[in-house]
Amino acid sequence: MKNFIVTLTLMLAVSPVIAENIYINGDVESRCSIVQDTAGRWGNPSANVLTTLPASGGQVPIIRFDYSLANAYYASISTPISFSTSPSLSDSTVFTGVVAVTQTSSSDMSGYQAASTTPAANTRQYALTVAGTTWFSATSVATHGGGNSTPFPSGSYTGIVVASCIAM
Amino acid sequence: MTPKYLGANGVDGMEINGIIYQYTAVKDKEDDFTVTVQNKKEGGGYVFQDREDWSQKYGMTIRKAFAMPYTPLATFKEDGGAIVTTGTGSVENAQVVYLHRFNRCFDPQTDPNCTGYVTPLPPEPPEFDLYDALDDEFVEEATKELDQDLIDKDKKKEEEESEEKEEEENLETLLAVGDNPLTMGDDFTQSSIIAQMNAALNISAYYKARIPSIVYNEQLVMKEQKTLGNSKRILRSLAQDQLHNQMVEAQYQ
Repeated sequence: MKNFIVTLTLMLAVSPVIAENIYINGDVESRCSIVQDTAGRWGNPSANVLTTLPASGGQVPIIRFDYSLANAYYASISTPISFSTSPSLSDSTVFTGVVAVTQTSSSDMSGYQAASTTPAANTRQYALTVAGTTWFSATSVATHGGGNSTPFPSGSYTGIVVASCIAM
Repeated sequence: MTPKYLGANGVDGMEINGIIYQYTAVKDKEDDFTVTVQNKKEGGGYVFQDREDWSQKYGMTIRKAFAMPYTPLATFKEDGGAIVTTGTGSVENAQVVYLHRFNRCFDPQTDPNCTGYVTPLPPEPPEFDLYDALDDEFVEEATKELDQDLIDKDKKKEEEESEEKEEEENLETLLAVGDNPLTMGDDFTQSSIIAQMNAALNISAYYKARIPSIVYNEQLVMKEQKTLGNSKRILRSLAQDQLHNQMVEAQYQ
């Protein structure tokens, strides 16, 4: 018995400590996807105005939200407040934008526009309370020079509409 | 939706696998309004029906998409598609799009690569009415022999053939006597009796005939009974005799 205890003590004393990391992997697919339905384009009806209105030669961008969970996301859409690329401007530019629901996949979404909020001046946020698809339009107008009506310099102008799904 | 929009062969092999519709409901929020998009089914019922209730809601544009199992187009009743509304409101800018595919193997015989394709038998050759010029009466008339010698030759040939045929028939009759002599004997007996009876009738007609006894007197009277001679006849006869003798004698010289 004594010999056994001694032997066991020696075995425990010389055994190394073994540790192993076991990984758990998982993927989460988004329940909300955003797709550009229609590209936007600014028209130039007057020298100091750029607008997406079709009547002025522009095209309103359409954004489509597909979401399979109800009451899980906000749709947040922001219209431009500056040009991402443009010629050098000598005067200030004032941006205005309007975001609206244009189409829905259910009549139950017809109240989205009325229930929407404006967390920022150029941002409109919608609570997506019914699973489905909703199309939003983002109209943008840029006016150069303020009251001076300074013409835009010739060149290419680009603005960005930011659309995002925000978890509730 | 009618097959003509999907091509000439739009019914056979065409299958619907999805429907997308879009319209704008124009109404006031407080109004009750329902919109139903539907397709009637052949034989009754509906192959597709979707109802949207806009009551107490803002009117706006709706777009919906539906996936379907591949459904033959023939299942959709022709002119059976409709957008039906109830309540106060209207529908504008309505569009209904059908997603479809063509099942080329609907009839396996359309493509040898389809399952169930059976190699068809070769078609039967058509029957033609062959024209035989020898049977044409006009050709026969146009090629008719006009040479009298040839015609006579043909007639003679036909007569010879007819005689040969008649001889053959007689020979057959004689040969048939051996087979049925009693019958033939009766025929000959009866024929001879009838012939004798006919002969008696024919002769009796001569017996009964009466010839009237009329005397036919001489009416012609020759007034001059003198025969006129020919004085040159003797001289000519003698000259001929002399010539004859000369010719006979010339043989011996």
